[in-house]
Amino acid sequence: MNAAARISWVLTGLSLAFLGLSAAFCLDLWGHPAKAPPIPLVDTNFISTATARMSAADLTRSGGDTSGLDCYVCHEKKKPLKLKLDAEGNVIVDKAHDDIVMGHGRHKRNNNCFNCHDETNLELLQTRDGRQLKIVESPALCGSCHGPTYRDWEAGVHGRTSGYWKRAPGETDKMDRKVCTSCHNPHSPPFPSRQPAPGPHSLHPPAKPPAQPERND
Amino acid sequence: MSDAKPSSAAPPSGEVSRRGFLRNSAVLASGIAALAASLAPLRHLNGYLSVDQFLQKYYKELTPKEMEKVLDRITREVEQQYQIRPHVHDYKPLDGVEFVYCLNLTRCIGCRKCVHACVAENNQSRDPEIQYIRVLKMPHGSLDMEKGDHNYAPASVPEKGFFYMPVQCQQCKNPPCVKVCPVKATWQETDGITVIDYNWCIGCRYCEAACPYFARRFNWTKPSIPKERLNPEMSYLGNRPRPQGVMEKCHFCIQRTRQGRYPACLEVCPAGARKFGNVLDPDSEVSYILKTKRVFIQLKEELGTSPRFFYYFDV
Repeated sequence: MNAAARISWVLTGLSLAFLGLSAAFCLDLWGHPAKAPPIPLVDTNFISTATARMSAADLTRSGGDTSGLDCYVCHEKKKPLKLKLDAEGNVIVDKAHDDIVMGHGRHKRNNNCFNCHDETNLELLQTRDGRQLKIVESPALCGSCHGPTYRDWEAGVHGRTSGYWKRAPGETDKMDRKVCTSCHNPHSPPFPSRQPAPGPHSLHPPAKPPAQPERND
Repeated sequence: MSDAKPSSAAPPSGEVSRRGFLRNSAVLASGIAALAASLAPLRHLNGYLSVDQFLQKYYKELTPKEMEKVLDRITREVEQQYQIRPHVHDYKPLDGVEFVYCLNLTRCIGCRKCVHACVAENNQSRDPEIQYIRVLKMPHGSLDMEKGDHNYAPASVPEKGFFYMPVQCQQCKNPPCVKVCPVKATWQETDGITVIDYNWCIGCRYCEAACPYFARRFNWTKPSIPKERLNPEMSYLGNRPRPQGVMEKCHFCIQRTRQGRYPACLEVCPAGARKFGNVLDPDSEVSYILKTKRVFIQLKEELGTSPRFFYYFDV
């Protein structure tokens, strides 16, 4: 075979190879890399700005069921209320109030109903210095014990806020500051634990389960 | 002898032999086919870059009139893609304002609501996922980032023995990401927010490498945002849908904060751990925190980036 014929064969071979490759490219014969499993959309509960619970004020404002705030549907107005105590001096919560879990204060020591509620008018609250407050004015009552936290709350630094950071002095309507009971249950105030939103998904499916990071505790 | 029997490979000058012609045309055809094949990815480029987009000027060189045109174009593009008419604005920094973020590590419970509120507000890609905030679960008694775990998934948080540290763009006063950008597509505005011009970014990812906080994210693919989750309140430097191949990051919800509102991550925090405001205003919440609280860290303080993001503790 002479040189010219060899060149001719080589060129023909190359041409065919290129044609084959181009056909393969155009038809996506190699396919695509394996895809990671689709990521489901996050539950809208996780992007809701609702507070942990509803305060009495929130409940009244939103037109919710406020029948629970009507004490004198069951209680009698003139009859003074006697607390039932067990052997250790803890209040026995009546069946009608069995939704109340008592857990206020270190070792649950703030366990006397009338530390906060007014025994002469059950629809009011009373501070330790004898002021009477409406149920919706609870921050002043909480503040009578939790001074530093109340001070922070007044400065807008403790607790939930929404609205505008930019507001002239006095433009209180521009900032929605939640009250204590919007997040804390007054009978059991520690902030409740909750389910976390889903964590980050990696760009590629993991080849093997990720190793647990080292802990030193 | 060559005169008597002309070689087929070398015909007399000016003539084309049948074999030579066939061979040359086969080579030519395969060459063209190979070229076409190599350009095949362009088939997917439809809508990737319009002429107007390509010819658009740098953000800082745009006159107000040109900006209006650009915003109109973005509105059109978004409407075409999502069938939702967005309100695209270009909010300028406010005078006498420097934004600062404070995060209370005592209060954070690690629920990751901020992460998802941010995704919803800022039109981040859902699949593949782009998130500006990462929440690190850290063992008590240490601030060693190496011990942080962001893949935690217990039934409920907080867990005993751990605290949670959300990390996002720290809006540094001395931002390394801005220094490395070869095209100045990212810069610091006068209110302290480091922004990105998504139309000017070339996607080199230098800034991602330079950021010590892993705050910057790259759009490897065209971002996928479900229509029903699109936030139509958009800003040019903020949450308008990004093209493929550009960087993005937290911008303190520029479309909200430059109108005086709080960022989305703050409003969703159930524990009230996040505080935001103007540090130049002595009566703002952040000034109160910086004055009275145990402001413990600027993250990786030793790097000299001087973040505008402060972590603090109660008591």
